[in-house]
Amino acid sequence: MTRDITIGQFLPGHSIMHRLDPRTKIVLTFFFIIQVFISRSAASLCFLIVLLGFLIASSQVPAGKVLKGVRPMIPVIVFTALLNIFYVSGEPVFTFFFLQITKQGLFTGFTLLVRLTALIAGCSLITYTTSLNALAAGLEQLLAPLRRIHFPVSELSMTISITLRFLPTLAEEFDRIIDAQKARGAEFNSGNPIKKIKSYFPVLLPLFMSAFRRAFELTNAIECRCYQGGKGRTKMNVLKLAPRDFCAIAFFVITFFLTIAFNYYFPAPY
Amino acid sequence: MAIIELKNVNFRYGSGTPFEKQALHDISLSIEPGDFLGIIGHTGSGKSTLIRHFNGLLRPDSGQVLVNGDDIWTASKDIRSIRFQIGLVFQYPETQIFEDTVAQDIAYGPRNMGLDEKEVELRVHEALQFVGLNDSYLERNPFRLSGGELRRVAIAGVIAMRPQVLILDEPTAGLDPEGRNKILNELEQFRRESGTAIVLVSHSMEDIAEHVRNVLVLDHGKIALDGTTSAVFSQAEKLVQLGLDIPQITKVLLGLKAKGYAVDTGALTLDQAERALLRLFEKERR
Ligand SMILES: Nc1ncnc2c1ncn2[C@@H]1O[C@H](COP(=O)(O)OP(=O)(O)O)[C@@H](O)[C@H]1O
Ligand SMILES: [Mg+2]
Repeated sequence: MTRDITIGQFLPGHSIMHRLDPRTKIVLTFFFIIQVFISRSAASLCFLIVLLGFLIASSQVPAGKVLKGVRPMIPVIVFTALLNIFYVSGEPVFTFFFLQITKQGLFTGFTLLVRLTALIAGCSLITYTTSLNALAAGLEQLLAPLRRIHFPVSELSMTISITLRFLPTLAEEFDRIIDAQKARGAEFNSGNPIKKIKSYFPVLLPLFMSAFRRAFELTNAIECRCYQGGKGRTKMNVLKLAPRDFCAIAFFVITFFLTIAFNYYFPAPY
Repeated sequence: MAIIELKNVNFRYGSGTPFEKQALHDISLSIEPGDFLGIIGHTGSGKSTLIRHFNGLLRPDSGQVLVNGDDIWTASKDIRSIRFQIGLVFQYPETQIFEDTVAQDIAYGPRNMGLDEKEVELRVHEALQFVGLNDSYLERNPFRLSGGELRRVAIAGVIAMRPQVLILDEPTAGLDPEGRNKILNELEQFRRESGTAIVLVSHSMEDIAEHVRNVLVLDHGKIALDGTTSAVFSQAEKLVQLGLDIPQITKVLLGLKAKGYAVDTGALTLDQAERALLRLFEKERR
């Protein structure tokens, strides 16, 4: 049940995207987000769609799966787009009492639709192709330089790894307690919202208690091993950039400048 | 009529994902009133998955689950009423306890059945007695009890619903030998007094061999062996092949037999084994 809503949504595979260093993927995801925001003209939007198609193909994640991931966000996307259609002022094409739709509004609304969809689809690729552990390791190494300004990097990474380690355990426990209470006749989908919240008490209470118990046991175990923060700790698997990572970065730099060029030579009509 | 009947049940986890895993293959079985059945299999063989089908917590991909003759998934029946008839005690059931007194927690099931307070009280009292705890426990805080006591309170919480069959998943896991024997003996007594059918699930033969009458051995989601306890035990080699522990005494007897002594290897309990060994000595002396 809970495990069906896979935490992260990693799909194991061997595509080029899977094999990239997690740090590369994190940085390039930021690149991609910026690129989505600067793609304003029709030409650069078309280019963005082509780029997204290329990225999906190179990840070997089924396109249907990626689009399905966008589905829960559709209401938000449509709402934002509609808001823009009605609010942007300019040359009116349609007037109804106080409602006014302008050419500019239509264009902005439509481009927003495309951009937000591309944004979510593009960002989801990293979670499809990178395991949570790899992501955490990548994040830790990316943040490592911040240690010099006393940012608690190793504590943060310890927290992240413990969380990642225990999320599945807690999800499993949650399932088990739900089943146990159902076996005692609990009902979880009775209509009334107050009743519904109340019906989760017999699940959440034991879950919190066991989470706290685990936390105490873990802190004891950590202290017994004299853990004192990450000072001087080394990693077993140190991430190393491969040639393909540099290729990927070069590729993104090129597409980035291409987008700027498209914006410049084929500017947005409004 | 069988209380629970499974016909060709198949089940897989994560259908349509890369993590798909067939957990049950074509399982057919029936549990009759008054049965005392043991389900054994090594870890991951599908025991917990199987018992989740008994009360409709999991729905089979194909095949039927009948409770008292009715298919629980076709008849537009209230699935909750099934859960009151089929009592399921999960592994480490103490993790399900959430009320602040023992009495309140045991009353959770009966209250969900919609019984009036008087009846609930009666059942709480009765269930607590079955698990060998007296009324002084009623108002105690469950989180101040010992592990064994807490486990018994959790079992009482299911007994209080007066199910037709009580199914316990690894009820002795994590208990010391004394606590283990105590719980098993109480369950045996509960069965004799109430006539409730009992299903014990375990990964260890040794634990339950003395108690159950019939055994069903699961391996990779299939029924590998099934029959009376002594019939299943007599196939010790097969059990070892399936990765199951056999009782120490059975190992001793089998070892003797392998060395050429004519000893009866069907003994299930220490007493029976002792008798078999004494008979052997008598014969050897002559
Ligand atoms: N919620 C789940 N999701 C996916 N696979 C599961 C789940 N629960 C159990 N499994 C798998 O199904 C198989 C049977 O598990 P289970 O019924 O728990 O075995 P047992 O109780 O005999 O140890 C195991 O291989 C296990 O990994
Ligand atoms: Mg199990």
